[in-house]
Amino acid sequence: MKILSDIAALLTGMWITWKHIFRRPVTIQYPEEKRTPYPRYRARIVLTRDPDGGERCVACQLCSAACPVDCISMQPGEEADGRRYAEWFRINFARCIFCGLCAEACPTLAIQMTPDFEICKRDIMDLVYEKEDLLIDGCGKSPEYNFYRHAGIGVTQQRGEGIEEKRPVDVRSLLP
Amino acid sequence: MPKLIIDNIPVEVADGVTVLEAAQSVDIPIPHFCWHPALGKAGACRVCAVKMVDGPVKGIQMSCMLPAQDGMVVSTTDPEAVAMRRNVIEWLMINHPHDCPVCDEGGECQLQDYTIAGGHGIRRYSGTKRTHINQDLGPYIEHEMNRCIQCYRCVRFYQEYAGGTDFGVMGSAGRVYYGRFEDGQLESPFSGNLVDICPTGVFTDKTARFKARYWDYDMAPSVCPGCSLGCNTTPVARYRELLKMTARRNEAVNGWFICDRSRFANDAVNDPQRPRTPLIDGREASRDEALEALLLRIAQIEELYGSGSIAVVGSSRLALEGAALLPRLAECCSAGALCYFTSQEESDRTLPLIELLSSGKPASQRDVRESDCIVVCGCDPLQKAPMLALAVRQAWRNGAAVYVVPFGSAQGTEGVQKSTILQMNRWLSGVEASQEPKRLYDAISVHSLDAVPLADAKQPVLICSATNAPDRLAETLEQQSNLKLAVIFPAANSYVAAQLAGAHGAVSLEHAVATGKIKGIIAVEADIPPQLLEGIPFVAALDWRMTETVQAAQIVLPTTAWVEMDGTCINNEGRAQRFKKVMNPGVPVRGLDPAGHPPHIHRTIPPGGEPQPAWQTVAALIEGLCGEQITEPLSGKWERLQELAAESEGVMINDL
Repeated sequence: MKILSDIAALLTGMWITWKHIFRRPVTIQYPEEKRTPYPRYRARIVLTRDPDGGERCVACQLCSAACPVDCISMQPGEEADGRRYAEWFRINFARCIFCGLCAEACPTLAIQMTPDFEICKRDIMDLVYEKEDLLIDGCGKSPEYNFYRHAGIGVTQQRGEGIEEKRPVDVRSLLP
Repeated sequence: MPKLIIDNIPVEVADGVTVLEAAQSVDIPIPHFCWHPALGKAGACRVCAVKMVDGPVKGIQMSCMLPAQDGMVVSTTDPEAVAMRRNVIEWLMINHPHDCPVCDEGGECQLQDYTIAGGHGIRRYSGTKRTHINQDLGPYIEHEMNRCIQCYRCVRFYQEYAGGTDFGVMGSAGRVYYGRFEDGQLESPFSGNLVDICPTGVFTDKTARFKARYWDYDMAPSVCPGCSLGCNTTPVARYRELLKMTARRNEAVNGWFICDRSRFANDAVNDPQRPRTPLIDGREASRDEALEALLLRIAQIEELYGSGSIAVVGSSRLALEGAALLPRLAECCSAGALCYFTSQEESDRTLPLIELLSSGKPASQRDVRESDCIVVCGCDPLQKAPMLALAVRQAWRNGAAVYVVPFGSAQGTEGVQKSTILQMNRWLSGVEASQEPKRLYDAISVHSLDAVPLADAKQPVLICSATNAPDRLAETLEQQSNLKLAVIFPAANSYVAAQLAGAHGAVSLEHAVATGKIKGIIAVEADIPPQLLEGIPFVAALDWRMTETVQAAQIVLPTTAWVEMDGTCINNEGRAQRFKKVMNPGVPVRGLDPAGHPPHIHRTIPPGGEPQPAWQTVAALIEGLCGEQITEPLSGKWERLQELAAESEGVMINDL
């Protein structure tokens, strides 16, 4: 009874076609209409600040090392209090593939991905973002963390007063 | 010759060799912190644990402390040994701060590597960390004691190897502290080696603080141009800026270390005043224009003053490639004089010594370290060639007798060593040492060379300086067949200059100018005293430094510094060594716009990146003058040096 099964197949296909004719379309009228991406969507990269308002980025170069397309470059520098920071920090978004490896590599949670995917420019050189374009006034996704409170090098607090630290050793004392 | 088995591989080593070294000889890596090839063992870190499965000793043992013995069966992969090493690393990390991102050692840190390799990732210990207050150790070395793992390498190097007294270890148990008694600059002229020798980031190079990471470095094997010893270095550059100098191992020359004079001398390369663009009478021009103008001026000078009125001047800091082309250039412009030395005195002193060295037996730094009798003759090695003084100290530590023969300009050598340590410190920082530092070695002062019992010595070495060599040197060398000679020359390539000057009948510039015939000078990386340039109507300078000669020259053709080119130099013993290009020439990125980020401009050549090595400019002149194209500067006698590898121990040019 091959003919019956063939007819059934035809009718099934026809039924699916008709069913979709009356469905609401999934296409949205971008750019007039916009979807909200998920909060963890990986798009435009930002540099965040710690809860005390300081720059989180210490220019450790791990993001530029992790970057598979080499689109991040920077120059570390030192502030008067010994804080390491980025003298300049550059991401070439013309080259970036938004893989998120930089954000994953970042030990201070400075570099983060945002859901802003709309970065188009008429001139490709405008896609080279400098630190002033990248740095935001907020903590981004991790509001509590401040690297220098844990680092033990005495930048945001006296040496020995950080989290999980003993008071500095007095080498001239004989007491245990 | 004990025979043992390590990880199923049979090994045979010399007596006294440790299990760790035996394993290394068959490429089995065993982690270690306190053990260092130049310092030996301390047994302080406990991370080189291996399991002795069979043989004279059994169980977990420290491989760096255990001499290899017959019948040992060693396992480095035994679960017990692996667990021990992992636990030791975890224990070392208990007090280690959480600051790798802001540590300059990050990426080149032995502790970091072994922690990752050992598999310790998550901190299990919930207690607090020990902290220390750091010291200010002067402008060259940064101190960060929190990172210390108590391997004792620094203090063993500083006090034992380099003879320093102002740095040591204090405290006990978990409070051990490595530092000075009070803040202040380290007084040893070899203190920079603490940076290389520390397995973690306690000592880092302050001059390269927060500049770059290991994986971004531009690095290549190189040779220090600071003195005539030719110590091997690895310069580190980033963004066209020379960041720091690190020591490179060459057992025949410097061993593992370099002196501070070599390490902290990057300013000349990074100098913003460096000539970067060609100049014709003070006007900026392209390289081709400048070359053309130079050729025209050479023709004009010859027309005006006749043939033989040009002097081609090399120097003792010019690399072999450039120096070897100068005779051809002199021929092409029918020069009246080919000069490698400006001063007649230097030429007269250096040439006979080179002859003596090429016929006699030159002493390498290794020969000095292994010698049993050293005669320091009328010079202070610490002043002109600091690493040679360190080599003498190693021989002295092994029981060699050191004799000092004061004469000529080095009278009263008793005080010489002390004063030069102070001088070097002043040279480095302008800081006076707080007290009289200890001398590097104790020497027996004798009035003349004859008073030294050379006949009893097995491997005697005579050290003298080219500026103050003893008179009867040739005789002494002839009488004493096993005596080797180490001469300290005034500059890195004095050997090249003297060798070529002898072979091509060069005269000193002083002598040439005195004849009155010289009306034009082509100075190739030469430092000519201003009084010799008086009355010379035309001067052209090829140089990478802003010297007085460059300032006086009508035509300036910039060349590349040694870190910006491949080249060859020949050290004081006649050892040819190759140095490789470390970075591209050009104005450092940091110098372009100090306030902001580098400009958004596409370029194929960076600003100031046009200079070529001196030999290429000389070759271009030769081509312009006599149409001969030179693509390989090392030909004829030097041809075999083309193959010379930079990583090798170098080639003695006597063997060529």
